[in-house]
Amino acid sequence: MRGGYVLRRLGVAGATIVAIVLFNFVLFRLMPGSPERILLRGVPNVSAERLEATRQRWGLNDPVLPIVIDDGGPRLALENQLFKYLAATVGGDLGFSFVARGQEVTDVLAQRLWPTLLLFGLGELVAIVLGLALGAYSGWRRGGPIDYLGNGVSLFLYATPYFLLGMVLLLLGAAVGLPTFGMLTAGAVYADVWARLGDLGAHLVLPLATVSLGLVGQYAIVMRSSIMETLSEDYVTTARAMGLPDGRILRAHALPNALLPTVSLIAINLGYVIAGAVTVEVVFNWPGLGTLTVDALTARDYPVLQGVFLLLSITVVLGNLVADLVYGLLDPRVRT
Amino acid sequence: MTPDSLTVVGGGAQARSRRGALGAFLGRYARRRDGMLGAVILAFFTVLAIAPELFVGPLETVVTATGGRLQPPSAEFPFGTDQVGRDVLNLTVHGARVSMVIGLLATVVTVVIGAVIGVVSGFVGGRLDGILMRITDFFLVLPTFVLALILTPIIQDLVGSSSREILGIRMTLIVIVVVIGITSWSSTARIIRGQTLSLRERAFVDRARVIGAGPGHIMVRHILPNVLNLIVANAVLVFAGAVLTETTLSFVGLGDPFQPSWGQLLDAAREAGAPGLLAWWDFVPPGLSIVLVVFAFTLVGGALDDLLNPRRRSRP
Repeated sequence: MRGGYVLRRLGVAGATIVAIVLFNFVLFRLMPGSPERILLRGVPNVSAERLEATRQRWGLNDPVLPIVIDDGGPRLALENQLFKYLAATVGGDLGFSFVARGQEVTDVLAQRLWPTLLLFGLGELVAIVLGLALGAYSGWRRGGPIDYLGNGVSLFLYATPYFLLGMVLLLLGAAVGLPTFGMLTAGAVYADVWARLGDLGAHLVLPLATVSLGLVGQYAIVMRSSIMETLSEDYVTTARAMGLPDGRILRAHALPNALLPTVSLIAINLGYVIAGAVTVEVVFNWPGLGTLTVDALTARDYPVLQGVFLLLSITVVLGNLVADLVYGLLDPRVRT
Repeated sequence: MTPDSLTVVGGGAQARSRRGALGAFLGRYARRRDGMLGAVILAFFTVLAIAPELFVGPLETVVTATGGRLQPPSAEFPFGTDQVGRDVLNLTVHGARVSMVIGLLATVVTVVIGAVIGVVSGFVGGRLDGILMRITDFFLVLPTFVLALILTPIIQDLVGSSSREILGIRMTLIVIVVVIGITSWSSTARIIRGQTLSLRERAFVDRARVIGAGPGHIMVRHILPNVLNLIVANAVLVFAGAVLTETTLSFVGLGDPFQPSWGQLLDAAREAGAPGLLAWWDFVPPGLSIVLVVFAFTLVGGALDDLLNPRRRSRP
């Protein structure tokens, strides 16, 4: 891979992340209510001195931007809120949660990260394997019963919000006695680690099925059209003319090339997967980032919301970067 | 791009040929089975949205609820009742109005922002084009749903009391319309800019400039009519996305319980634990409505895109 391509991709991703961090600062300024009032929430009889001391303590008397325009015209201010915010963000300090008092936003996020990673990592994996297999098969046997059925189901699933799918599966699961709430049975005492894992597995069935079903349609649709396009290429005709068996043509000639477009789809999907995460977790009370986001929304816990936004959008940008680089590695034509 | 806009013709002849083109277009559309299915579904829900009172009477509230708690479907309540005894059929039909109106307004905002940025960026070009497209790319990369999730409560709090109404729509929902608009215009802007770039080089734009038309006049009178077909095809797909986004925002509790959309009904059903209580009638009617509407928009959008998009039209 040429260095120029990699550098340019890195540059674009870096600029986007800087823009996201600055955007986050602007959002903070839009936040309703004055910050010192929010900081002193629940404190009775706040005196003017106390208010002023709080403003001083949190640097709220400093100018917002490094450039101040007053009577003497524009001048530079080194003590400003933007620089402090940037320094804190780069240092991994995202402030404190309003609700979980005294807890740092980074700690709150870290606690909720791994349930989400577990659920959506596994869900993506199942969806990719099933979706690509289904898509490849229906594209190969185009017009067959599997193709017809799969296409219809894919289109319908595409129009279904994840959480609605989750509610239907929850109803079916509740009817057969599967656990539908949280990650582990509340208050359960486990004999050993295996019993604990078994309980986790049982709780995972329904949310995992929801995530996988929600994603599988898109992968199947793209893989199907991709394999159909590949099959019309000259080299497939050549392979056929050479008398190669069908299975060999599919595995050795058609599949490797047809997989290319799906690579970028998987990365682009990351953003949609995250949006889905929010709602699926709510349906099953899965204690991940999605439930955290909705709880923070209800309580208007802005620092946590800002943290979620920063974490998720940077993840998406990095996902796109990885996709670009992998694509460049696989397909020499895009490396220009 | 219709051929009649290339040649200078009299007003009457132009109108006649436009009408002819429209007729030919409708004829081609009617032959698309998927597009017609989508149109029929949309027509059904549009009728419900225009006059819900005609079919099920006024919206039932907690106060006027007539049934018991979570009753299964019966002769009196064909879709059963919800957790506070309201008729689910009544709520679903009224939900059509809220969901479709919010979707329509959000689509208008999105498409207007996207079209203005696309046409100006493509026509003016130069540094302005560079800046506008940087911003567009930024919004394309951002997970816009997460952004909407954070912007909505901030703006709702900024706007304050939600009891105020604009055109009979409560402020909470107006905020959702605006947020969907400012988070989802980027792909429209990209598409329109691309088409404007190629239109800018056409002879009729040069002619207009030669006879002294200013850039504003050319954009409004010559570029805009020629990207209108793209805007329409794009708007249909935007509509589907807007309905889904509104549904999801309402589902996480940002909707308005006094003007319940389908997403708001699903949120209420989930909070009442309807799926766990096996009360399928409490969430399947509004849920199925959402799926049908989004499905129909996807079908119509696909058919329109095939017929109107100049890059696809040449395909056999």
